[in-house]
Order: sequence, then structure tokens, then C-alpha cells
Amino acid sequence: MTEGTARVSEEADLIASSVAGDSDAYDRLVGRYQDRVYQVAYRITGNHEDAWDAAQETFLHAFRSLPRFRGASAFSTWVHRIATNAALDMIRRRPPQPPVSLEGVTVSTGDDPAEAATRSELQRRIHRAIISLPTEQRVVVVLRDVQGLSYDEIAAALRIPPGTVRSRLSRGRESLRQQLADLAPAAES
Amino acid sequence: MTMGHVTELLSAYLDERVGADERARIVAHLDACESCRAHLESLRRTVALLHTAEPVRAPEGFRAQVRARIDAQPRRAPRTLRLPRWIGSWRTAGAVVAVVLIGLFTVNLLREQFPSVARRDREPQGSVPAPLPPSASVDRAARAPELSAPQAGGFPVPGRVGAPPIPAPYSPGEPALRRVIRTASVMLEVGDLDETASRLTRIAEVAGGFIADSSYAQAGSTPEGTFVLRVPAPRFADVLSQVESLGHVQQRHISGQDVTEEYVDLQARVRNLERYEQRLLALVDRAAKVSDLLEIEQELARVRGEIEMLTGRARYLDRQVDLAMIQVSARQQTTQSGGFWDFSGTLTKIQTAFLLTIRQLLRAAEAMVVALSALVPVLALAGIVWLVIRRIRARAQA
Repeated sequence: MTEGTARVSEEADLIASSVAGDSDAYDRLVGRYQDRVYQVAYRITGNHEDAWDAAQETFLHAFRSLPRFRGASAFSTWVHRIATNAALDMIRRRPPQPPVSLEGVTVSTGDDPAEAATRSELQRRIHRAIISLPTEQRVVVVLRDVQGLSYDEIAAALRIPPGTVRSRLSRGRESLRQQLADLAPAAES
Repeated sequence: MTMGHVTELLSAYLDERVGADERARIVAHLDACESCRAHLESLRRTVALLHTAEPVRAPEGFRAQVRARIDAQPRRAPRTLRLPRWIGSWRTAGAVVAVVLIGLFTVNLLREQFPSVARRDREPQGSVPAPLPPSASVDRAARAPELSAPQAGGFPVPGRVGAPPIPAPYSPGEPALRRVIRTASVMLEVGDLDETASRLTRIAEVAGGFIADSSYAQAGSTPEGTFVLRVPAPRFADVLSQVESLGHVQQRHISGQDVTEEYVDLQARVRNLERYEQRLLALVDRAAKVSDLLEIEQELARVRGEIEMLTGRARYLDRQVDLAMIQVSARQQTTQSGGFWDFSGTLTKIQTAFLLTIRQLLRAAEAMVVALSALVPVLALAGIVWLVIRRIRARAQA
């Protein structure tokens, strides 16, 4: 708890310094959030090229908008909101990118090559299933089940009622359940 | 979905995002329903599977590029130059339309408010607006401009009719009423000249006046007549409108000559002369010598002659004031006997229509310019509101 509060206050300092124009401080903020932002961008856009652009755009936009960030919500929620919007913008600008490439995904390889291959195949299936969801549902599923945000954080980030988050999430998960039905028992073990 | 199944609630149930009632229902149902239990289990596994998704990390060089681009940015970029994305949305368009409508509404309000204010400012200090002519004696003078002001000007000025330019309770001193000689000359185009002549006579007689002069001439194919009507001044407006209803008015001139000053001057001079006369009469009694007496008598005769002359002039003015003059020139309408098509008439109509259209266009343009200039403060206000909204939005975003 104390560590958490220390982290938050340190983050507040970083934000304040960034607003003042300290690019080192902002660089550290980027270091803290780049993976999470990149992951949101990647899971929503579906490919690394767009994810890179969307994530870059997210941090540039966040830097410009930082003076207007007043801490009404958590910084993490705020960044998620920007990242989601940037990714959705990217989708809107370049709609269909059917081939889903997984090259370059940093996969933690196990010792056993066979197991590694299975894991890789599993990752590919999961990713493809997420990408197949309608955008609205995909965003909610990514934020909830991949990023681990709470319903209220998602509602704040997307500016939709929590009830809407609940129903979209329900539909998205149901669709994923049907697509991944054969894999689910394996994951249980 | 079959009756009673709770499949669509299971996702929220997993996250414990259901209300107490829902929760009770789901638990009860799960107890009884095997298929929903299986469904819940399968959903739980799916969510767990999603959690096993490998975390995707930002690739090498990502952070460095962000840093480079941030450093390349101009410090404190002027934010205002970049319009927010919601500009151009339907909501913004709606807001703009609303602002314009409110602006027009305000313009109308201003238009109603301001002329009256401006006019009140221009009125002389201390003069009470006199909507009612105070008495019948003043009425004669006061009513005349009431009619002539809008007519002579060519356009009606609403709100001015009731407030004559000569304020009725003007000077409470000697000249209790203003003496104005009213004359009007009207050029008419009539159908039948003879009938017009007889009707003019009737109008004059009914109004208590008479035809002072009438002449008749035939110039070319169009007979023309000139009539001078003398009618009591209070009936002036009434008679004038009757006369104008006889035909098509081509020209109209109305004038009012204020002779109050001359009249007052005349009265004063008469009074002075009368006093002088009295003194002379007194001297007659005291005159010792015949030569003196003769001299005084001579002077008396001169003074009396002058008094006669001045009172005559005053009486003349009285008469002129009492009887207003309306001069009517009537011309019979040209009935083209030569052809079946009145070419010049058509030309006139074309010209009239052309000019009318141009005038309307100019009027519309003027109205638009006026409206735009009246909108300026509204736009300024809208700008401020926009800035405030932007700030609030920015705060909400943060």
C-alpha cells in the first residue's frame, strides 16, 4: 500500500515535471506505460505496424494534452482512453488488414520446443479470436480481460455507462467462448 | 434463450458485477440448471484463457522514437491553432444553428428596442411627448403636421404619428396657438374629367368649403383641369384623402407655412399703434393752437390708416389659416385610340418592375448587413462560451 502511494506520488511528480517541459520526466512516464499502451494498440488494431503508429500517436497526444490533465481520473485510465481512441482512429483510417501476423510478438519461450510451438499456436488463436470481435466488443474485452481494468475504469476511459460495459463485455466473451471452446479445457489444466 | 436461463448475466456474475437480486436469481438458477452451470464453467475457462495471453511488449526503439519526437516538438505548441476533433460534428453544427437563431432573435429585439430609445434621446429636454392635442383651439395647428409629416416624407415612420414635430404645449405665453397655412397640390390622373369636377365641388361643399378657382384646357388629346379647393383647415386631411381617392395620384406636394411669428408681430404693432392713438386723442383735448390740432389730426389719420392695414393683413392671415388650400390638377387618362397596344405603358410597367426588384434586392442586402453587424456582439459572446466549454471539456478529459 505504501509502495503504491509512493508510486502514485512519484508519478504525480513526473507528470508535473513533464508539464513544465522536462522531457526526461516524460521519458520515464513513457517507460512506465509503453508496454500497456502498446498492448492496447496491438490488440485493437491487430497488427504491429498500426500498433506502433497508434502508440506513438498516443504518447505525443498525451504529451500535448498533459497540461489539461487535472487528475480527475487516474493517469492510467487517462492514458488508456487516449490509446484506445488512437487505435480506433487507426482502424478507421486503414480498415481491413486481414492477415494477422504474429511475427515479432515477444513470446516467453519455454524450455521445451514442442510446448513452445503449442503455446505459440495458442497465442495465435487467442489473438485471432479477439481481432474477429466487433470493434465495440473488442475494445471492452481488451481493456477488461487483457489489460485488467475495472468496469468503472473502462466506463471512464470510453465515456460510456458501466451498464454498457457490462453488456458489451458479456457479448464479446460469449463470442470468444464459442470460438475458443476447444481450447478452453486445455487452458484449465 | 430459453425461459429462465441466465446466460447473458454470467459474464457479469464472474466479475461480481451483478446486483443482489440478480445474484440471488443466478445462484438459484445455477443450482437447478445444468446447462447454465456448464455455460458458466466454459465462460470462466475462456476468461482464464484470455488471461494467459502473452503480454505484448513495446518493441525495441519505441521509447526512443517517442523521445525524439517529443524533443522535436516546439515547446508550448500553440494549442489554439489546432481545432479540436469535435469541430465539424453534427453537434457543433446544431450549436452553430442555435447561435444564429438566437442571434436573429436578438437582432429583432434590438431593432424593437433601439429606435425608440434613440428617438427619445433626440427629443428636446423638458418637452413632454404629447400624444393628444390638448385642446380644440390648438388642434387646428397640431393636427396638420400629424398628417403631413409621414406623407411628405414619402415613408411612414411608425411611432412618430402621435408625436408631432411641433410640440403642442410649445410656449404657454402669448401665442396660444400656432398659425399654419396649409396648402397641398395634387396631380391626378382620372377617368372622366367632368365627373371629377363635379365630385370635387361636392367634396368641397360637404366639408364646408368651396371651389375657389377652376380652369379647363384641352391640350392635344388629353383634357386637363385645374381646381383650387378652399376647405376649413380641420378638414384638410380628410378632404385631401377624398380628393386623392378620385384618381391615380401622380404627384403630391404638401406644405405648411408657419405664420405665427408674423401674426404675433402684427398684433404687437397694432397694440402699440392703438396706444399711440390714445395718446394722440388725449393731446387733441389739450391742443391750444389750431395748427397743432391739425398736425395731431394728420398724425391720427396716418396711425389709423396703418392700424387698418395691419389688421387687414392679420385678417387675411386668419383667413388663410382657417381655410386650407388644395390645388388639384386633374388629367384624363390617355385612352389610346390609335392602336390596341399601349407600348409606352408596357415600357413603364417593365421599368417599374425592374426598379422594384432592384430596390427589394438592395433592401435585402441592407437588412443582411445590418443583421450581421448586430450579430457581432452575439458572436463575441458565443466565442467566450465556446472557450469556456472547451476548458470544461478539457478538464473532463483530464
